Amino acid sequence: MARSKPSSSKKQPKRGVDFKKIKRKIGRKLPPPKNATNTEIKSKAIILPEQSVASERAGLAVSKKGLTLKELLQQTSHHNAKVRRDALTGIRDLVLKYPAELTLHKLAIIEKLRERISDEDKVVRETLYQLLKLVIFPALKKDVPGSLISLMMAYIFNGMTHLATDIRLMAFKFFDLVVQHYPSSFFMYAEKVLQNYEDILRKNHIYLQDRSKLKNALVGLVRCLSLLPCNRRTVDPSYGKNTETQGSLHAYELEVPKEHTDFSSIIKRLEDILPILVNCFQDFIPLVHPMSSLDAQSFDCMLYLLRSIDLSVKFFLYGIDKHQTDFGVTKPTYNEKDMPVWGEIATPVFLRKFLEVFPLNQLHNTSGKDEDKFFILNIEITEIFLHSNEWIFTSAILMERFLEFIENLLSGKIRFNSRSGKALQEKHLTSLLPFIPRLVSLVANTWKSRLLQAFTMAFKDCKPESTLNLAFLSAIEEMLLPSKRQGILLLDASEPEILDHQITWIRELPVLLVRLGDTLSSLSKVILHLLLRLGQYAPMNSSLAWEYDIMQHTLGEFYSMCLDDGSILYGPFMKLPKDCQELSVCCLYYFSSLDSLLLRSLVYCCLCDNLEPSVLFRIIDVLHSAYKIGHLQLVDLISFFVTLVARWKVLPGRLYTHVENAKKISNRETFKAITGAVCSCLRQMGDDALIFQIVQRVILDEIPLNPPIDNLCGMLRLLVILDSRPTKLSEQSIIILSNSISEYLIDAASYIPENGDEVTDSNQISICQYYLVPCFFLFDRSDKLLNLVLDLMGSSIGEDNSSLACNHDTQHTLDLSSRIVAVVSILLYMHQDIKIRRRLSSCKGEITRILQKMRLQVYTP
Amino acid sequence: MEVVIASSPVDAGIGCWDLHSGAEQLRYRSCTSTPHGLACVGQRFLASSQLRDSSSSSGSILYWSWSKPQVEVKSFPAEPIHPLVSNSDGMYIIGGGSSGAIYFWEVASGRLLKRWHAHYRAVTCLFLSDDESLLVSGAEDGCIRVWSLFMVFDDIGMEMAKNPYEYSFSEHTLRVTDMVSGYGGCNAIIVSASEDRTCKVWSLSRGKLLRSIDFPSIIEAVALDPGEHVFYAGARDGKIYIASINAETTSSNSYGKHIIGTLSDNSKGVTCLAFSKDGILLVSGSEDGTIRVWDAKTHNIVRIYRLAKGPVNNVLVVRRPLYSNRQTSENSHSSFSRRHAPLLPPPLGKYVNSTDENVDSGAVSVPQTPSSDIMDAPYLSYHVLTKQISELQQQSSAATGMEVDRLNLDCKRSVEIVQKWKEMFAYLHKFCVDELLGNDQTQTQ
Repeated sequence: MARSKPSSSKKQPKRGVDFKKIKRKIGRKLPPPKNATNTEIKSKAIILPEQSVASERAGLAVSKKGLTLKELLQQTSHHNAKVRRDALTGIRDLVLKYPAELTLHKLAIIEKLRERISDEDKVVRETLYQLLKLVIFPALKKDVPGSLISLMMAYIFNGMTHLATDIRLMAFKFFDLVVQHYPSSFFMYAEKVLQNYEDILRKNHIYLQDRSKLKNALVGLVRCLSLLPCNRRTVDPSYGKNTETQGSLHAYELEVPKEHTDFSSIIKRLEDILPILVNCFQDFIPLVHPMSSLDAQSFDCMLYLLRSIDLSVKFFLYGIDKHQTDFGVTKPTYNEKDMPVWGEIATPVFLRKFLEVFPLNQLHNTSGKDEDKFFILNIEITEIFLHSNEWIFTSAILMERFLEFIENLLSGKIRFNSRSGKALQEKHLTSLLPFIPRLVSLVANTWKSRLLQAFTMAFKDCKPESTLNLAFLSAIEEMLLPSKRQGILLLDASEPEILDHQITWIRELPVLLVRLGDTLSSLSKVILHLLLRLGQYAPMNSSLAWEYDIMQHTLGEFYSMCLDDGSILYGPFMKLPKDCQELSVCCLYYFSSLDSLLLRSLVYCCLCDNLEPSVLFRIIDVLHSAYKIGHLQLVDLISFFVTLVARWKVLPGRLYTHVENAKKISNRETFKAITGAVCSCLRQMGDDALIFQIVQRVILDEIPLNPPIDNLCGMLRLLVILDSRPTKLSEQSIIILSNSISEYLIDAASYIPENGDEVTDSNQISICQYYLVPCFFLFDRSDKLLNLVLDLMGSSIGEDNSSLACNHDTQHTLDLSSRIVAVVSILLYMHQDIKIRRRLSSCKGEITRILQKMRLQVYTP
Repeated sequence: MEVVIASSPVDAGIGCWDLHSGAEQLRYRSCTSTPHGLACVGQRFLASSQLRDSSSSSGSILYWSWSKPQVEVKSFPAEPIHPLVSNSDGMYIIGGGSSGAIYFWEVASGRLLKRWHAHYRAVTCLFLSDDESLLVSGAEDGCIRVWSLFMVFDDIGMEMAKNPYEYSFSEHTLRVTDMVSGYGGCNAIIVSASEDRTCKVWSLSRGKLLRSIDFPSIIEAVALDPGEHVFYAGARDGKIYIASINAETTSSNSYGKHIIGTLSDNSKGVTCLAFSKDGILLVSGSEDGTIRVWDAKTHNIVRIYRLAKGPVNNVLVVRRPLYSNRQTSENSHSSFSRRHAPLLPPPLGKYVNSTDENVDSGAVSVPQTPSSDIMDAPYLSYHVLTKQISELQQQSSAATGMEVDRLNLDCKRSVEIVQKWKEMFAYLHKFCVDELLGNDQTQTQ
């Protein structure tokens, strides 16, 4: 059939035509009939600014383009790179607008976004990076479950092993981001991450061309490594008090599971990485030697390489150190069998080789900027050297080179040229200074003196406000005092040269303290702490202790200084915060004999209104304690106390105005407390009779200066407390005392409540008693004093007539009448007291004389 | 019988009162004790380090037996000793010197077993932890150090270790005035008071500061409640502050944080505190020369004793064996009591005797029963034994000569016997050989 068909078609025209045959080709479609309806539908897209056709979105959170989060997330896996990018920016807008959306759907968002970590399109990855960095991570900072991180990590690792190098490097960047925000995540994946770093660094020659990317990867590595534990040599020792949060000490403590990571795997990885890092660095070295300048990218790469080497070396050291000091207090985190591998055998070989490159570019004198770069690199290498110094046996030549570099650095022979160089130099010096003490204790003698020389010079040249001072001080503390951890002296103070340096440092400290003023109280605190430690730990009768004693001459300026014209210049002590003040007061205790000059400047401080009373009491306490262990002369201490009582300024102010002048009242209370403290100190001193003699002498020197009523009252109290019955006062002192007491009584009489007054203020009564009771004690013990005082009172009424005659009459009479009223009220008040009444009865003569004079006065005008 | 003993820096003797009845017992004469310088050695006798003039280079430690008011034994260590402490069975006396050294004596022989440099300044207080394995010392420079007694006597270990002490706490800025420890041996807490107006609570197990409490005055003495809920801090202003250890105190009251109350009697400064064994009665000594007994539960004064005009600086509550009481009351048995009066140990040595230190490093003691015949219990150390042996040998030199003669004779006799045996053997040998040869000859023949 199939064959016949074509042949038949050929034959057909030969036949007769009965009816027309329509030719048809097989397989061809029929043309559409003419009357057929066209069913085709044509459409064109209609682009609307807002696609709010389908659903009601009034209450939903939408992005600028009106897409919901769900839609945006769907779009992130769109095949078009542009759409994906737009979706990411959309998410960003949405989250910024509606932060709640993020917290609600964080899991969904992260789950979707993570797929984009290994996106082929560079722009998409970059957008994602920005999105995570700027929006999502900061917002989620508080509550991020580990599951979220692990969700991301799976894709990041995927990216790290991607074939495309771009994606690979980007994955490291993402990891860096994660670690930046959640540092603990590094330890969870440390081994795998380090493995990946190792791989990528091994093939560094591929990326060497594109240094910026290598740099990015290295930044991440440095960040990760800096999370590893190491021996932190904190520049600022934490003098702060521990947390006082714990309420009850014996309470059951919830054992917080510490982040327990198995370091052994990290150690192995690091051991593999370290040689690669070193190799990588050495690949860069050819770039250094030609005269061409070093470009910024490769410089950064080198710097980061060095940093990572430094950090891993530090980590090894930490392990070794920890192993040695493990007392079982902290859980040993390393397996015993791992320990010997630790750096001690494997690492030094190539490290030594690596250190041989030092110093970089010493010969070529290129442009200034480059020099700075090399300088920074050199410092980094030095730091690595110093870290490793303890366990690498270095050759003497290399050692010399390093030491010379350090010396030059300290003495300032090498300097930065650029403008910001000063700050940079300080920063780098700060990182090197903590090594100085150990270095000095280890190196040979010639170098020891050279290093110390440079160190001392640098310390002296250091500006007071410089941050370097902290580093200097901690180094000095280490070299002066037995270290806290080991309890042995690092330097042998018996060598005269070392001692010279130590003395120079000690002498510099008070000077620095005074120069600092109150500008940097934290630094002042560190200095004061150092001084205190020095006082505590300096061996007795050693030259250091002697030097500490000498220091008090310069320390006087720290408290206050009496200028030539008699005015007082207060030192920084007055302005420092309270904890510094307390520290400096504690320092006083350790001077083996307190100088009277220092005491004088201290007394000026005490008399200043601005000094807080609590500090004043501390000073009294400490001086008393110092006296007890024989660091203070008895006479000095007593004259200090009496001066304090005699000169302390009680603010004038009537007592009954206590509503408005609460402060003035409290001031008087403070004075009472001071008097009380001084009294209790005096009583504890021992031999009362001897102390009374001294106190009496000092007080009699003060009394002619006409002290205010409060101070006189205080002094009388001191006398009363030490005195016994009958009085031990000498004749002469009774005469002097009687003079001032008569005046004092007349002054105090104004506080006596008037007889007729029914509602007498209880406060006023107590004040009146406060003033009069010491006098009564004295009268009770000495009749002679009472007689003299009464005489004087009488004569003061009588003599006024002649001496004040020139005064205005009205004034005079007013004055006189008030005086008479005072005398009368005193006498009446004395009469109320039973003991004194008995005494008064023996001096009837004086009283009648007073009365006569009064009558005379009243009737004469 | 539980008694309160108290001493003063002025010469007022050591007062002794029955805690429960209040009756005064013997007063032991001529004692000017240093702060923390009174100790009762194993309930057997009293020891006190004495205040000396700063000029004299040596210190002095005196012993009194319970029965006699006079000083019985005087010893003069190389430097003035401030605090003095003894372990519970009275084997050792430990003293802290003014140079910062700690002295360790064996009581029975008086030998100075060890002297080591502990502090940079004078030692102010010492105590042993309740298991007596740790010694805690405080110094004038505010430093507190914890020593393990095992380590102190381990010379090799000392050299190996980075630091000889277990811990060194240097948070106090001024002199440490008193310290007290809780229960639990090396896991206990310590409370220390200092002239810097703070008390600090430390953990011995963790070696760190747990709490620092600021007080309104200098704290001179601390005592710990047996339940360790609170501690009592006797201040220079005459009050005894109660500070909480175990209670949550959130609101700071008038005294300051963690201070929950005071015991106050408007007296002069409190200088020393001690708890009775039952943990209810708190005994405080004051600057004004009186000793107050407080009921710690009700905060009331139970009793007041008066020691002297001068200040009291040591108060102890100790158990005193009963027999000595009987001895004072019954004069008729004086001869009996004299026979029983214990011999006090020899004075304490001045220097470490290095020559015989290697020979006898261990001490042998026989544990005593805390009964009335406590004094009769043998109490001998190896050192004493060796001394006695050597004395014995010296005494019997004549006897040994005779012994040697006898031994010589023995020897001679033995030699003769040996000779005889030898002859016998030779004879037998000869006989046997002859016999054999004779047989052979007869056979051949």
